[in-house]
Amino acid sequence: MDPAQIVNRVPEGEVPKLRLEHITYRYSIGTPFEKRALDDVSLDIRRGRVTGLIGHTGSGKSTLVQLLNGLSKPETGRVLLDGEDIWREPKEIGKIRFRVGLVMQYPEYQLFEETVRADIAFGPKNMKLSDEEIKTRVSEAAAFAGVAEELLDKSPFDLSGGQKRRVAIAGVMAMRPEVLVLDEPAAGLDPQGRHAIFTGIREYNRLTGSTVLIVSHSMEDMAQYCDDVVVMSHAKILMAGTRDQVFARAEELEAVGLDIPLITRMTLLLIRGGMPLPSGIYTLEAAEEALSVAFGLPPVPPDKEDEGKGGTRSW
Amino acid sequence: MVNISLGQYYPGQSVLHRMDPRAKVLASIIYIVASFLCKNFFSFVLLFASAILLILVSRIPLRIVMRSIRALIFIMAFTAVLNIFWVTDTTAEPLIHWHFITVYTKGLYHALFILVRIVAMIIGTSLFLTYTTSPIALTDALEQLLHPLALLHVPVHTFAMMMTIALRFIPTIMDETDKIMSAQKARGADFTSGSLVQRAKALIPVIVPLFASAFRRADELATAMECRCYHGGEGRTRLRILKYHARDFLVLFALLVLIALLVTINILGARFGWLYTM
Repeated sequence: MDPAQIVNRVPEGEVPKLRLEHITYRYSIGTPFEKRALDDVSLDIRRGRVTGLIGHTGSGKSTLVQLLNGLSKPETGRVLLDGEDIWREPKEIGKIRFRVGLVMQYPEYQLFEETVRADIAFGPKNMKLSDEEIKTRVSEAAAFAGVAEELLDKSPFDLSGGQKRRVAIAGVMAMRPEVLVLDEPAAGLDPQGRHAIFTGIREYNRLTGSTVLIVSHSMEDMAQYCDDVVVMSHAKILMAGTRDQVFARAEELEAVGLDIPLITRMTLLLIRGGMPLPSGIYTLEAAEEALSVAFGLPPVPPDKEDEGKGGTRSW
Repeated sequence: MVNISLGQYYPGQSVLHRMDPRAKVLASIIYIVASFLCKNFFSFVLLFASAILLILVSRIPLRIVMRSIRALIFIMAFTAVLNIFWVTDTTAEPLIHWHFITVYTKGLYHALFILVRIVAMIIGTSLFLTYTTSPIALTDALEQLLHPLALLHVPVHTFAMMMTIALRFIPTIMDETDKIMSAQKARGADFTSGSLVQRAKALIPVIVPLFASAFRRADELATAMECRCYHGGEGRTRLRILKYHARDFLVLFALLVLIALLVTINILGARFGWLYTM
C-alpha cells in the first residue's frame, strides 16, 4: 500500500472536517537550536469520527494539534476547516477556537475559578452566550466528562487529580466544539480513569456528532476507542487510515518502535499459524468471542465486567 | 543544559569563558574600579583600548556586545546631555552661548569621558560575567566569595541555594506561562484587546494557575530534596569544584597593571596639566 494514498483516505465526494495541506513548522528559527517539528504534513480528519493520533515523544503530535485551532500558525501550508482556510481572516481566529476545542496536556493545571461550575463556564462565557444557555452547557458538559453534580460547587483546587482532569475536559466540551481535540487526555490516570474518560469522549462524539481527535501514545487505547488512526514519526505522517488498515501493518509499526496491542499481535500470530480468526481484534472480549467461534464453543455469556461498564462514569 | 536558554550566557571556549568564576567576579570589580580611576584624556583612551581588547579576547561577536550597550542607551544619552550643558569652565571661553544655554569644550569632553566610562563598565561586567559565565557558575562563585560572611551568621549557603533554584526554575515557569496562556486562549480568553483594566482582568486565568503550580512545584522540590537528605550547606561537597589556574592570576595581574598604568597617567597628567581632567 502506498502511504500517500492512505493519507488521502476520504471517500469521494466527502469534504473532510479538517484538512492539513503541506504543513511545515519549525521551532527557534535562525538559532543553533532550530528544530523541524512538522515536515510537509498533509492529512485529512474525517467528519464525525474519532481519530487517534499516535507517535513517539517529539514526533510532532503536540505541534500539529496546536495548529488545528490556530494557537500557532503554520510556516507554510494551510489548515482547512470544512474546506475553508482558518487563517483567511486572521482577526477572526478567536471564532475558530470555539469551533475547534482543544484540551491541552495536563489540563488540570489550568483551572483557576472559585468553583468547578464557574470554571466549566469560562469558555461559554467567552462565547458571550446567554446565562440560560451557559447553564445548560455546563451541566451537559459535566455529564459527558463524568463530573458529578455535587462537585460543581466545590473549589477545583480541592478535587483529586482525576476529577480535575475531567473538569478541564468539561470546560472545553461546554463550548460544544464541532471538533474536539484532546492531547493525551488520559496521561497519568489509572486504567479505570482512562476508561471513564475515553468512554465519555466517545459518548460526546456519538451524541453530538462532532469530530474527535485524540493524541496518545498508547496503542491499546487507540485500538479500543478510535475509528481512524494516524501515526506520526519524525515530523512526518507515517501512515493514516482506519484502525484495521493501520494495525494490519504491524511490522512497519514495530519497525518505528510502536507496539500494536498485545491481543492483536497474538491473534495475528494465530492467523499466521493457520487459525481461522478474523483480523482486526483489539480487545480481550473480541478475542474471546472469535476464539470461541473458532473452537466451536457456545458464545461467551455476557461478562460481569461488561455490565459494570455503563457505570464506570460515576467512578 | 538549562542555563543555555537563560539570560545572556553566550557559550564559548575563550580564556574568559574558562576562567574561574570567582576570579571573574573579582576581575569585574577591579575593572569597574579602574574605570573610575580615569582622570584625563589619555587614561580614557587606555580604558577604551582595554575594553576593545576584552571583546577581542572573549571572541563574542560585536553585535551581541552591542545589544547590552543598547539597553542602556537612554541613560547614556541622558548623562551625556547633562554634562554638555551643565559643565562650566571658568578658564575658557564658551563654545556656544545662546540665551541660557552655554556649552564649553570641557563639557563636550566630559560627556565623551562619561560615555567611555559607562561603555567600559558595561563591557567589563558583561564580558567577565553575564556573557561568559553560566548563572549556576556565578552563584557558586558568589557563595564561595561570600563565605566569610557565614562567620557573622549570614546564611550564605541558603541564599546561594535559593538563587540557584530561582534561576533553575525561570525557564520552567516561562514554559508553564506559555502553556497556560495557550490553554486559556483555546477557551476563548483574549489577552490582546480591550481596555487596560480588561486586559489586567484577562490575566487572572493565567496568574492563578501559575501561582498554584509554582507552589506545587516548590512543595514537590522540597520533598524531593528532603528525600535526598538535604540538610543545608554543612558538610556538603560540591559537584563542580572551583579551582584557580594560571590564567586567572594572569588576567588579574593584567588588570592590576592596567590600574597602575591609569594611576601613572593620572599623576603625569596632573603634573603636566594634560587636557581636560575630570
